[in-house]
Amino acid sequence: MTEMTMSEPGSAQNDLVLEIENFSVDYGWGDAAVRAVNNVSLSVRRSRVLGVAGESGSGKSTLVYAVTRLLRAPGIIAEGSARLTFDDPDGGTGARRTVDLMAASASELRAIRWSQVSIVLQSALNALNPVLRIGRMFDQVLKAHRADMTKVQRRQRAAELLELVGLGEDRLARFPHELSGGQRQRIMIALALALDPQLVIMDEPTTALDVVTQHEIINELAKLRARFGFSMIFITHDLSLLVELADDIAVMYAGNVVEWAPAGDLYATPRHPYTLGLLNSSPPLTGERRELVGIAGSPPDPSQPVGGCSFHERCDFVLERCHREVPALRVLDESGRKVACWLHEDGVSVPTPLRRRAGDDVPATMAAEVAP
Amino acid sequence: MNDALLEARNLSRHFVVRTGHGLIRPKRVVRAVDDVSVSLHARRVTAVVGESGSGKSVLARMLARIVRPTSGELVLEGVTIPPSAARSLAYASDVQLVLQDPFASINPVHRIRHSLERPLAIHATPPGEIESRMAAALSRVSLEPPARYLDRYPHELSGGQLQRVSIARALCVGPKVLLADEPISMLDVSVRLGVLNLLRGLCDDEQLAVLYITHDIASARYIADETIVMYAGQVVEHSQGTALIDAPTHPYTQLLISSVPDPHDPLHEAPEVQDRTGQGQFPAEGCRFAPRCPHAMDVCSHTAPPLIEVAAGHESRCWLHDATAVAITARGQGGTTSTT
Repeated sequence: MTEMTMSEPGSAQNDLVLEIENFSVDYGWGDAAVRAVNNVSLSVRRSRVLGVAGESGSGKSTLVYAVTRLLRAPGIIAEGSARLTFDDPDGGTGARRTVDLMAASASELRAIRWSQVSIVLQSALNALNPVLRIGRMFDQVLKAHRADMTKVQRRQRAAELLELVGLGEDRLARFPHELSGGQRQRIMIALALALDPQLVIMDEPTTALDVVTQHEIINELAKLRARFGFSMIFITHDLSLLVELADDIAVMYAGNVVEWAPAGDLYATPRHPYTLGLLNSSPPLTGERRELVGIAGSPPDPSQPVGGCSFHERCDFVLERCHREVPALRVLDESGRKVACWLHEDGVSVPTPLRRRAGDDVPATMAAEVAP
Repeated sequence: MNDALLEARNLSRHFVVRTGHGLIRPKRVVRAVDDVSVSLHARRVTAVVGESGSGKSVLARMLARIVRPTSGELVLEGVTIPPSAARSLAYASDVQLVLQDPFASINPVHRIRHSLERPLAIHATPPGEIESRMAAALSRVSLEPPARYLDRYPHELSGGQLQRVSIARALCVGPKVLLADEPISMLDVSVRLGVLNLLRGLCDDEQLAVLYITHDIASARYIADETIVMYAGQVVEHSQGTALIDAPTHPYTQLLISSVPDPHDPLHEAPEVQDRTGQGQFPAEGCRFAPRCPHAMDVCSHTAPPLIEVAAGHESRCWLHDATAVAITARGQGGTTSTT
């Protein structure tokens, strides 16, 4: 498998696994429609991890449910396209097939789901069937998608998958309620990997777990990905977790992608005021104790959209035009990173914290103080 | 520092559960909180850090006297309260609890006014004062102007605003002690600092004693004057200030800190966890952390360690800090290597 060493968000590559273009999702019809995802374009490349960071209500989960056609009414895909490209199981070696997810029929979707795209949900207790033993769940998936496997083979494969996530074969006979939260989430991950999918979507898989278990699962995921080379979309509100795990990070705010950059760049040199605010909102574990301010105000109510940039009410560097005009996500520099902010337009002097370079030895938190 | 506002002495709470299947199910005792002593002082934030199931919330509920302790006693401003005594109104007005999820702890079918009025009415506030006390409470949590919030419904407010209402509700009866059980874990990242700064401000300006319960050790470091780490119902490490976070001495605290995502050092390895016991399962004898501990010694499996002072105002429940235990282990290991 060829892996690109440089990450270039948005650049046209033929190794794209998922390509989302101008995607918008509404909840409700007509005048009552509330826009949850607004004109989002993102892509995931082979064997890469795209992290999607955002607070509750930012549209991050809605986006992936809509793209995978799992969104239920009153959620409506207003516009946009999403294409999934995967190794064609019926073609020869290297053959790739692209499916337009928006146009796919129910039977086409059924063939793709789980075997090409799988999803790990936040609450494993709710996502696992409480009346089935763990072994039965593996059995059902394999039976449905791998008709040629015998019962013994299915059982073997299930044990193998548990082994992958660090659990013993004895867990197959257990019910979900007999397992701890971390073990349940491992089962979810093993189930998601059961059919060797090309893309695994993780919707806040570790949010309900304590930090020790979270750290173990994140390390486990990194190992599995290195071994099997699947792509991943990892959704979370914890930006520092993404910096550890993801190759690229897209930050969402009020339904819009406001910044999309390689993980290291986003952490070291945030370019959107919201990203900077998020990074400053987590108290550090080392260094001197000092008062932090976070982000003033609260996230906007999607049913009462504000004019202009969705972040302008909470932004420290707000310009006059931010009240009126919505900034588009555009390429910022040669590296290909993108940001949706008027501060980076020609002729505007960028505030100090938002124009640091990677070499600067000032942590982002300190830079906020130096701001004019 | 003997001027503790609220002190818990050797507080324990055991729950009896039935295990297994069928008609004859053996009883098992879950020691949710075991022999925990805490003292809360005016103008100080005491942080309790622990994972889910460590007993930190049961501790808070015992301090609020919603859960009755199995043994131990509470001392409020020098007055000892036996565990069997019923919870009094006077106690409730001195010690207030703020819960984790404001969406669940504030009645969704009533306006904010109702949530603030009820405690004031129950605590016999003169009717003429109720309006002004409600307004004052909302102002104290920076929900201004108060009139804008009183007639709203909970669903019209954001999570951060609602948690402020929850804090205002606790404050309006004039407590001396505020127990905050994971007050920020359900909130959006961008508004968490606001609530933490609010708690810190209330503590400094209003002479409140604050117990801050969390699983987020970084937020404890941000706000605490005194820090406690709980594991399996016990205090495993305790220090003044945040010494235990800057220089952790207990293997569990070390594990906890190394598990926090660190963008400077992606995918750093936390100490290997050797045994994975299920939730609520720990050995009946010896140190409760021993099955997961990378430094476990012989003594750990049969004798429970006491809290051992490792520095001034810093205690750790670990045999590693007992010179005799370490020496015996070293000798034992030396013996085995020489015979092989």
